[in-house]
Amino acid sequence: MGIRINPNPMADLLSGLALDQQQANQAIQELSTGKKVNQPSDDPAAEAGLIVNNAQTSKANAYLSNISTLQDSLQEADSTLNSVVTSLTQAISLGTEGATGTLNQTDRNALVQQVNGIQQQILQYANQSFEGNYLFAGTAVNTTPFVTDSSSSSGVSYKGNSGVNSVQIGDGQTVPANLPGNQLFTASGSDVFQALSDLSSAVSSGSNVPAAGTEVQNAFNYINAQRSFYGTTLDRLTTASSFLNQETTQLAQQQNNLVGVDMATAASQLTQAETALDAAMAAGGKISQTSLLNYLT
Amino acid sequence: MSSLFGALSIAVRALYAQEGAIDATSNNISNVDTPGYSRETPILTEAPPLDLGQISMGNGVDFGGVQSIRDNVLDLRIDQETQQQSQLTSYAGYMNQVQSLFSETQGSGLSDAINSFFNSFQQLDGNPTDTPTRQAVISAGQDLASAFQQTGEQLTAIQQGADQEVVQTVQQINADTSQLADLNQQVSSLGANSEQADMLQDSQYQVLNNLSQLVDVAVTHASNGSLTVTTTNGTALVAGGQSFALSTDTNASTGFQDIFSQGSDVTSSFNGGQLAGLLEARDQSIPTVSTSLDNLAAGIINAVNSQSLKGYDLNGAKGANFFEPVVQPSPGSNAGAAENMAVAITDPSQVAASSNGTQGDNANALALANIQNAAVVNGKTATDFYADLVSTVGNDVSTATDEQESVGLVLTQLQNQQSDTSGVSLDEEAANLIQYQRAYEAAAEVVSAVNSLTSDVIQTI
Repeated sequence: MGIRINPNPMADLLSGLALDQQQANQAIQELSTGKKVNQPSDDPAAEAGLIVNNAQTSKANAYLSNISTLQDSLQEADSTLNSVVTSLTQAISLGTEGATGTLNQTDRNALVQQVNGIQQQILQYANQSFEGNYLFAGTAVNTTPFVTDSSSSSGVSYKGNSGVNSVQIGDGQTVPANLPGNQLFTASGSDVFQALSDLSSAVSSGSNVPAAGTEVQNAFNYINAQRSFYGTTLDRLTTASSFLNQETTQLAQQQNNLVGVDMATAASQLTQAETALDAAMAAGGKISQTSLLNYLT
Repeated sequence: MSSLFGALSIAVRALYAQEGAIDATSNNISNVDTPGYSRETPILTEAPPLDLGQISMGNGVDFGGVQSIRDNVLDLRIDQETQQQSQLTSYAGYMNQVQSLFSETQGSGLSDAINSFFNSFQQLDGNPTDTPTRQAVISAGQDLASAFQQTGEQLTAIQQGADQEVVQTVQQINADTSQLADLNQQVSSLGANSEQADMLQDSQYQVLNNLSQLVDVAVTHASNGSLTVTTTNGTALVAGGQSFALSTDTNASTGFQDIFSQGSDVTSSFNGGQLAGLLEARDQSIPTVSTSLDNLAAGIINAVNSQSLKGYDLNGAKGANFFEPVVQPSPGSNAGAAENMAVAITDPSQVAASSNGTQGDNANALALANIQNAAVVNGKTATDFYADLVSTVGNDVSTATDEQESVGLVLTQLQNQQSDTSGVSLDEEAANLIQYQRAYEAAAEVVSAVNSLTSDVIQTI
């Protein structure tokens, strides 16, 4: 007798069909989800990469959100200081006016009024808040930082603290988020309120006006110098922000490389699997249902 | 001396033999679709010749019954591959359920919750006194805790599913072994080559194949046709007409079913079949995943708590534990940390954002946010540890699935080979049928010829 051939190829055919069907299903899943990794076992390394990628993306977005909040508050502080500087310019010219010897007491009193008004104005600026938090109170953002105080020689005392918060704008990268009010407005030798108060008394009495004017000029220079903090920090934030935006784009790209499907590949895999499935089914239909018995009479 | 009657008796024996052969063919055709059936061939042998002094005369054909055509070695290989395949199938089934808990691409999994939690601290360091922001930290903590809880609970549920299937599998094994013992008894009481013994042998192999799907078996053939079956580690299952039932009993410490054979614990002795796959998932792989999950939860809880204790809350009071502290059931074990994870504080002002008691200070919030980048479990960050965990689970499933596929191919190959040898081919049976039919007709002709000759002889008298 010759070689015996498996007389029941149906089981073989079924397992072939199952394999083809599985490949077709895989391709369909990839196409419908747009992902080539749909469960960890599809590509364990890519899945792990995705988790790390997600964490980095999430951190980058948190840093971006920190930067955006901080930019708003720094810009607010900077523009407030701009107003302070403008007010101080006015005070300086009032000082120059007060130094001329031709003024009478009434004129001087009018000038004093204006200087005191400017001091009040600057006091308001120094108590500026942003989204419910005082900008110049150090970290004591819920405490009104500057209050009028008759026991103080400048007439104003500082109730905030000298704390500086840091905000994270990148892995291991922080920027200071505030300048405390005592560093800005009441620094020794450049105390804005003291200078204005001295100017007010000098103009009122008509003596030592030029010296008081110089004091205001010093305070003006000092605040202008301090303002550079905001410019520098805002620049850093802009740089960090554009870096982070670039990073999130790269991370998205990387994520797509890790788990995204190449539509063309998946589509051609589906076609292949379906062709194989059709062929296997056609073969199944051709498995002879007849045997020699049909031909015996 | 030869005689007409001698020829008649030879022809009659030929008729019997061809009837037997046609019987076998008919039986083959009837069983063409019967699972486990091995085709039978008639055993036809030349009858011992008659010695008549100087000459020997042929004495026709002997019908020696039928013989099942099977390849015992092939059967054994099929059983072995079946054991491996069933083991991988049930193992992969359960681990697939496990990996679905960590399918990050499908949006399940813990990484979103972990990221959101640490992000909430980042938000807090931008605005440390804001109550909604503080509330968001607590909410993110609760989300993280419930993600860990659910994942832990689902792992346990999957483990319990496997445990229940262990019990069912043991019952099926017992049913099969007692059936096999019955068959052994019947086979051994029959003669070796009887057709009935062949049929019973088919049933024995069918039961054995079923048994191989459930558990790893080693088989010894006894000369009387009975099969002695043990597991590959020597646990007795069937010996002759006796079967040894496995039993299950709850393990007090794990809460799962241990398996006993004649009083001794054999839970860890199985090497193949569905049972081994279930036990591997239940006792090894899922517990490993659970332990990692617990360690991850404990790592986060401990790091966040210890940093919280260093800080101050919005009221300037010393910080409290953010999460309920981990209760270790035994030293070094974090078992239950994931399932019991919960946020300990409820009042948003209790979040310890400040490092010095000043309301607006954010340094501790910053430190809490940076726990995301710190090594909190096994020298790894939470994200890296979790990524490792997921890729380990993924690798596990992918390896098991690949092996399952390749074993499946081998098995199909072997089954084809078995079918090559033992399968019933209708063409072949039809050809045989014609052959036996013609032989029968010819023998009948001989009878008719002898009849005519004897009648000739009688008429001459």
